[in-house]
Amino acid sequence: MKILATYNIKGGVGKTAAAVNLAHRAASEGHRVLVWDLDPQGAATFYFRVKPKVKGGGEALVQGRRELDRAIKGTDFDNLDLVPADFSYRNLDLLLDEAKKPLGRLGKLLAPLRGDYDYVFLDCPPSISLASEAVFRASDALIVPVVPTTLSARTFDQLEAFVADNPDVVKKLRILGFFSMVDARKRLHREQVEDLRSKWPELLSTQVPSATDVERMGVHRGPVAAFAPSSRSAKAFAALWTEITARL
Amino acid sequence: MSELQRFEVVADGDPEALLAAVAERAGLVAVASVAARRVFLDTPDGRLGATGTTLEIRTPVRGRKASTLLWTSVVSGDSLAAVELTVGADPPRFASDLPDASGSRRLADLIEMRALVAQAEVMSRLTTLVLLDGEGKTTVRVLLDHSTPLGRAPLPSVVELLPVRGYGREATALGELLAAQVTLRPLPLPLVDLARQALGSPAYLSSKLRLALDRNADAETAWRTVLVTLNATMTDNLEGTRTDADSEFLHDFRVAVRRTRSVLQEGVDVLAPDARDRWRGEFKWLGDITTPTRDADVHLLDLPALMATLPPERAADLSPLRDLLIDRQRRSHEQLVADLASDRYASLVEQWPDFLEGPWVETGPEANERGNLVAAQRLAKAWKRVVRDGRRIDEGSLAEALHDLRKDAKRLRYLLECFGSLLDPQQVAMAVKALKGLQDCLGEFQDTEVQAVALAGFADALLARGDVAAATLLAMGGVVEHLDDRGRTARHRFAERFATFDHPDIRRVFRRLIDIPEDTDG
Repeated sequence: MKILATYNIKGGVGKTAAAVNLAHRAASEGHRVLVWDLDPQGAATFYFRVKPKVKGGGEALVQGRRELDRAIKGTDFDNLDLVPADFSYRNLDLLLDEAKKPLGRLGKLLAPLRGDYDYVFLDCPPSISLASEAVFRASDALIVPVVPTTLSARTFDQLEAFVADNPDVVKKLRILGFFSMVDARKRLHREQVEDLRSKWPELLSTQVPSATDVERMGVHRGPVAAFAPSSRSAKAFAALWTEITARL
Repeated sequence: MSELQRFEVVADGDPEALLAAVAERAGLVAVASVAARRVFLDTPDGRLGATGTTLEIRTPVRGRKASTLLWTSVVSGDSLAAVELTVGADPPRFASDLPDASGSRRLADLIEMRALVAQAEVMSRLTTLVLLDGEGKTTVRVLLDHSTPLGRAPLPSVVELLPVRGYGREATALGELLAAQVTLRPLPLPLVDLARQALGSPAYLSSKLRLALDRNADAETAWRTVLVTLNATMTDNLEGTRTDADSEFLHDFRVAVRRTRSVLQEGVDVLAPDARDRWRGEFKWLGDITTPTRDADVHLLDLPALMATLPPERAADLSPLRDLLIDRQRRSHEQLVADLASDRYASLVEQWPDFLEGPWVETGPEANERGNLVAAQRLAKAWKRVVRDGRRIDEGSLAEALHDLRKDAKRLRYLLECFGSLLDPQQVAMAVKALKGLQDCLGEFQDTEVQAVALAGFADALLARGDVAAATLLAMGGVVEHLDDRGRTARHRFAERFATFDHPDIRRVFRRLIDIPEDTDG
């Protein structure tokens, strides 16, 4: 079981779209996939039409009073399950802080599911906090959407610096960045992509375009490939998944 | 997790209309309907069905004709693997033919060396209905399955209620509603079993010897019953052996032959000497003619594991060896087919059942004794021999001593398997378990040595051909080294394994098995 977290310190960069679409792609290839919506806003949960509620909330999960297994909901797609968001996740930092060995907590919760899933996607809220560090510890890789803008690029710098400075936290973690919400019509985006690629040659080559298909996920309440299988976005996420699996 | 619920439509009339009425009452929404040709696959011994799964190749009748290989749990309805097959490609026959996809590995582990064989072919109309909650989310799926086996009458329409994880309450409520319909009756079997029944498919083969001998029967009856059962196993596996459908047919055929020989050997006081000698000779011949093909099968079956012991970049160096083994297997199987077509074999298969079913005019002195007493005597003798010979083996003993002990242990095992139902089943199970640990160790020691010797022979054969690369010989040398290590490990473990078998607790088990008071039922 590989644990992949879609993560960026910055919000609005396409983390949830990446988690939902990559998970759907992996499941459609026959892999057994679980998405854990850790963002209290619950966008991934909304996309999968599941009620954003976990019995006992994040507290019951973190304290081990409720097994993660019992919080899982099947989605409308084969091989694709979800642990829904819960508004109490807004206090995840506090809950983890009160737990023993907080950094290893998420990994411990996921460990019993090892035989049930091939991939787990953690859809993370934007921040860098104790919860993020717990995600870093649990994950095999961070999938980091980078919008080709100065601010977004800066947060990628911050993340790389954090990873370099905290080897005890990240341990086995791999960083897989990709350009997200790319608008090829904008000169700024084109220039930034070029500059940042020369700065970070290890970035994945697939770019996910800024497209209305992704925005329409909220209307259709599902992954792009479920309602627009031939769209540029669906193809981009498929290509991105192929590239990610090759790197893992 | 909730389990799938399955019903069959039992009322007369149009099942579609009946189900439409039920669906309307339950608030179900139809979301898909597809006509498809479905071929259900399983191994000849029904491994997939035995683990509560079905494997099918589904091809839509209209539209894109791409077939999908679907592996599904019949318990939960969960998809365990779903992979599109290449258009025009042959269906997967062996584990190595399975497409590279999630779930294939688990499926391959289950299939092992067996072939996938079509069990039933049906034409189906599959309609999926769903129950939605207020978010428009599917909480329960319902599958209506109208299937017709090729050339047969339609099967009863089947309704499957497939729970969605985390929505057990909704599934339970809908299940209760469906169960209350007079038109529906719970169906314990998956569709593939209904189709197999309708097609009159034969039962799955089993390599396990299932015998329930009468404890009060005389020895002649017990011996006869065992031999008849073993003959049925040989008959069941003959065609697959002839066609080489998979290597397990010959394996099971040979095991039945060996057990037959062993039962004849143990029947020294049950069968008449002339008849016993004659049939022992015939079955020894039958065993001998199957040995070269089985040896070649074993070499081929073991090759992937042996290749895996080499660094990945050197594994390909063994390709010439693989080709040689395939060629030898093919040639030895051709010879086996010829031997099975011989007059000698024809008279064996004609006269052996006559002997088993006809009266035994002459018998051994104990033929009329109680079967359990005679079996216990034979068991006592075989067990004492294993204990005696095993205790004589120490670090300095020759390999032959271990090989002889392996044969003795096998004889004891066959006695337990063939006549165990005459004795205390609990004690038999414990005895077999203890013996198995010892046999595994002795088998590993023997197999590694035999394989190493065989590899030396294959190296000679390749050298004699004159086109073998040095890399191939080096890779084979690496494998032999690995086999030697494994053999040494098995040799070191022997003392511990034998001590476990010879433990006072296990000795008590055997004593209970062999000490049968004459005036009881055993």
